Amino acid sequence: MTHMPYFFRNALIWLFLISALIIGFAVSLIAWSTFPLHIEHLQQYFLFENQNSIEQQILSTIRTPRALAGVVIGMNLAVAGVLMQGLTRNALASPSVLGINAGAACAIALSSVGFAVLSDLPSIMVAAIGGIVSGALVMFLGGFLSTRPHPLKLILAGIAINALFIGITRACLILADDTAFSVINWLAGSLSNLDWQHWHNLWPASVIGWVLAMYIARSLNLLTLGNDTAVGLGLNISMTRYITCAAIVLLTASSVAIAGPIGFVGMLVPHIAKRLVGHNFFVLLPASALLGAALIVWADVLSRAIAFPAETPVGIITALIGTPCFVLLAIKSKSF
Amino acid sequence: MSHLKISLLIGSLVLIALASLAIGAADITVGQVIYTLSDGGQFDFIINQYRLPRLLLAIGVGAGLGLSGILVQGVIRTPLASPDLMGISAGAGLAATSLLLLYPDAPLYMLPICALLGGLSAAAIIFLIVFKSNPTPIKLALIGIAISAFLSSGIDFLMVLNPIEINTAMVWLTGSLWGRNWQQVPYIWGALAVMLPFSFWLAWRLDILGLGDESATSLGVTPSKIQFMALLSAVILASISVSVCGTISFVGLLAPHLARMLFGHNHKLLIVGSALLGALMVLISDLIARGAQPPVELPAGVLTSLIGAPYFIFLLRRYKGW
Repeated sequence: MTHMPYFFRNALIWLFLISALIIGFAVSLIAWSTFPLHIEHLQQYFLFENQNSIEQQILSTIRTPRALAGVVIGMNLAVAGVLMQGLTRNALASPSVLGINAGAACAIALSSVGFAVLSDLPSIMVAAIGGIVSGALVMFLGGFLSTRPHPLKLILAGIAINALFIGITRACLILADDTAFSVINWLAGSLSNLDWQHWHNLWPASVIGWVLAMYIARSLNLLTLGNDTAVGLGLNISMTRYITCAAIVLLTASSVAIAGPIGFVGMLVPHIAKRLVGHNFFVLLPASALLGAALIVWADVLSRAIAFPAETPVGIITALIGTPCFVLLAIKSKSF
Repeated sequence: MSHLKISLLIGSLVLIALASLAIGAADITVGQVIYTLSDGGQFDFIINQYRLPRLLLAIGVGAGLGLSGILVQGVIRTPLASPDLMGISAGAGLAATSLLLLYPDAPLYMLPICALLGGLSAAAIIFLIVFKSNPTPIKLALIGIAISAFLSSGIDFLMVLNPIEINTAMVWLTGSLWGRNWQQVPYIWGALAVMLPFSFWLAWRLDILGLGDESATSLGVTPSKIQFMALLSAVILASISVSVCGTISFVGLLAPHLARMLFGHNHKLLIVGSALLGALMVLISDLIARGAQPPVELPAGVLTSLIGAPYFIFLLRRYKGW
């Protein structure tokens, strides 16, 4: 696109991202409902007309919290993915691949079984604890703290820890509960059955995570020059790592606690966003957030459409889209 | 020395097999088990119709997966090669699940055939990728795992579209011997009866392959032919095991490694050892899965992955070929 002026191209990209999100949001509000909803109802909803009709009630109590939560969760996972790839400088890193999703889900499963202290804590904290434990294990076992970390070792350690935590999760779900089918749904990552209460649990942690992410963007930009150069330019590397990890944990934990482990958004989105807007984290972070939100919202629409009127967990859709891309990235990537 | 080790393995297999007949939701003593096996009696149904076929299946499936693992590693000489890490198990599982859910009336003998087709297609995808991009061993492992993940999310998808009982779902998602009976026994043991002698026939040829392609050719072995046959039998064994009890993970990775530690590099011994160790692993996992908190059952595949995942990490930390 060299013939197109730089500014014009950028504006087009942002316009595209924003409109993809807004159209997705609107479609997700009315499409594939078991109760017929039309665009007029949506119009009335936004103009506060006819508030007592059954369509308006469905829109305001079922559809809106679900769509909003989808947007925020997509943003969270995408931003967490960007942060992770920036921190580890590893093209395949993301919360799901490095076992953080699985750890958080495992902690929630343990707490729902009634395991020790975990049952008394709010679910976001439980998820955060699980995410921190699994993340620390992966970083340690994958040799991230060694002088010359190998990118693939980290990924494979993540996969192994993932398998371990999924095993524990399944074991304790079966031992504890015979009605595990709803949990299988949750474990695949699902946006169904979200209400305003979930939304109120979701947004505060997410906003803190986004602020931390933007705050650390400058340091991550420096880090792309390599550890030595970054230190030479005055970057406090351990501080950067702590803040980035805190942001990743907050963002991932809040989404897993609400919607279960939705995979591959965090891995896929940063790559597309990098192609679109380049490597500057100040631009990359918001672009990824928009793209991630649009992806989840559209995947959610698809998850309802694919087997209508039954619902498919949205995590399965993202996995079906994400894994082929993962394979392509793994084949093409030159660094291993 | 190695004969002693093999006898020890067989001895412990027999002991644990007896224990697994005795342990479960109903308390039965070992004496009663032996009596029931020969003469029937009040526990006839529990022992002969429920626990015995399950025992035979656990041994058969474990041996099949162990054998499959050693054949794959004999051809692809990296410590991370195994049928489940390369997506073969997941491919077979996806095909079997689709048959069961989409055509529930299909006759039982279709299941192994369908699983075999799935396993073969997954293997074909992997080898196409190997052929095209010639990845390093470790990258191959990564690609295999990703394909495996893709196929298992396909299984997940089918499960959600067709809600069924949780135990059935667990069979296909993680591998479990729940609800299996005499019907499945002939398939896995039939496959073993054909494949075990064939593996012995392959054994010294695989040893020779280890000397390098040129030496192998000059000794009268065509490497590509042997490699193809070994991989084909590995896919057949893994697929039929999966069609019986779902995708039990990590057995095909662990059993060959343990066998190598015990028996060195002679494939004749490795084949026996790996099959025995695989059988032991699945048998013990199933025993714990049934016996931990009866009558609730864990899937055996959960236990193998609880043992297997840490071992996989251990392998990674020791692997030097980065």
